[in-house]
Amino acid sequence: MNLQEETPPVKLKGVGDSLWVTINPTLPVEDLKQALIGPFERLKHLAINARIIIDTGAEDTDDRDALIETMGAFLKKEFQVGHVTKPVAPDRSVTQKRIRQQDMGNSWHHYQNDGLVMAGRVRSGQKIQAKKHLIVLGDVNPGAEAIAGGDIIIMGSLQGKASAGQPNNEGAIIVALEFKPTQIQIGGFVAGGMADSAKNRPEFAYIEENAIVVDDYIKENPFRRLAWPEVR
Amino acid sequence: MRCPVDGKVIVVTSGKGGVGKTTITASIGAALALQGKRVAVVDMDIGLRNLDVVMGLENRIVFNIVDIIQGRCKIKQAAIKDRRIDNLYLIPASQSDDKNAIKPENMVWLCGKLKKEFDITLLDCPAGIEQGFKNSIVAADEAVVVCTPEVSAVRDADRIIGLLYAQSITPKLIVNRIVPRMVENGDMLSHEDVVEVLSIDLLGLIEMDEYVVVSTNTGNPLVLEPESKAGKALQRIAMRLDGHPDLPIENPMIQKTFWKKFSEKFSRKN
Repeated sequence: MNLQEETPPVKLKGVGDSLWVTINPTLPVEDLKQALIGPFERLKHLAINARIIIDTGAEDTDDRDALIETMGAFLKKEFQVGHVTKPVAPDRSVTQKRIRQQDMGNSWHHYQNDGLVMAGRVRSGQKIQAKKHLIVLGDVNPGAEAIAGGDIIIMGSLQGKASAGQPNNEGAIIVALEFKPTQIQIGGFVAGGMADSAKNRPEFAYIEENAIVVDDYIKENPFRRLAWPEVR
Repeated sequence: MRCPVDGKVIVVTSGKGGVGKTTITASIGAALALQGKRVAVVDMDIGLRNLDVVMGLENRIVFNIVDIIQGRCKIKQAAIKDRRIDNLYLIPASQSDDKNAIKPENMVWLCGKLKKEFDITLLDCPAGIEQGFKNSIVAADEAVVVCTPEVSAVRDADRIIGLLYAQSITPKLIVNRIVPRMVENGDMLSHEDVVEVLSIDLLGLIEMDEYVVVSTNTGNPLVLEPESKAGKALQRIAMRLDGHPDLPIENPMIQKTFWKKFSEKFSRKN
């Protein structure tokens, strides 16, 4: 699965009582038409007689208008939408009620995230390998190994070896309730465990400026800054 | 002619070498025999035998386990009866072959026969995880893992426990060579640290004891030595293995005088 989000050719949002369609004007018309088919088909009856606003970006030139005409005609023919208009500049003198924007494009996907959840103690000499994320409900003994293509989350004591983000995902993290590994690896970076480093609080390791950093997970939770839950 | 008994086979293993398997096997065998059971102790360390030396029976070896398996003698001919303790028999290993002389199928056959003759058969497993270990665990009903309070021993015991679980045997733990003074100072792992990592039931705790050295060198059974703390611990372990599993485990501690306890209470800042 591709971890980075590519800018999709079309995006759908529900704004007020209309559907705001953002299209990338640099792409050929046929590609845009193809890309629109997917989301509109999922909308089904909601698209019929809907008000569509097509947003091509900031510039307001003639061929953009022509593009909007073409796309509008296409949508009317295929999906029986109601009006199709250009985006109108909002009237700033009147304060409008904040409308909750829903990301119509993504909320329709049912993401299946590949996470391997194992319960039990991983003993010395044993190795658990996951293609994506790995969650261990239990301890990892010294001499044991946990390897994952994504994150490693240990709901227990990590005393063995953990390699996250294999082979080259440097955004991966390793979280453990008791963090005292012999060695950790994230992507291509390796760090040895320090002897007296265990504190009785959950800690996590991540990459910052080409080095592995370990921090208190509760205080420095990196995911607090995200506005809404994202797929990892 | 004895009527067939329904015996069990217990393997004593550890992974790491030198933690005390052979001494413990000999002593538990002696203790069980003193409690009236008919016990066979088998040395599985082919090529490096020393259970016979520890038991003081090396002068009486005629046949060994490889002879039994290759059909040159019967079990009765190879088993050496200990003259000091009734009902205790030793089946020695061969000193000239190596561990590839026996295959797991041979052990399954032999243990089947031993279970009909003896109430308890103890197998002294060699160190390591190769053929000797595989031969020892293939026909075992129960397992005892011996571990000293050292990081390397715990690491190896952990591996062995994983392998025993893969063979569907649930092992029990003996922590050997505990020095209470060092545990108190923080220089040695406590048995609780060991149990926390290994996470199996504790069978017994044995303190470091100088009588063990004397006993293994002279071949006199440790459990017959009344002054030995290790001997007493091993007798309790034998009782727990057979008949009294709930006997409480005694934690080796240093004997503190009254004044030391008093001053400790007041010197601790809270």
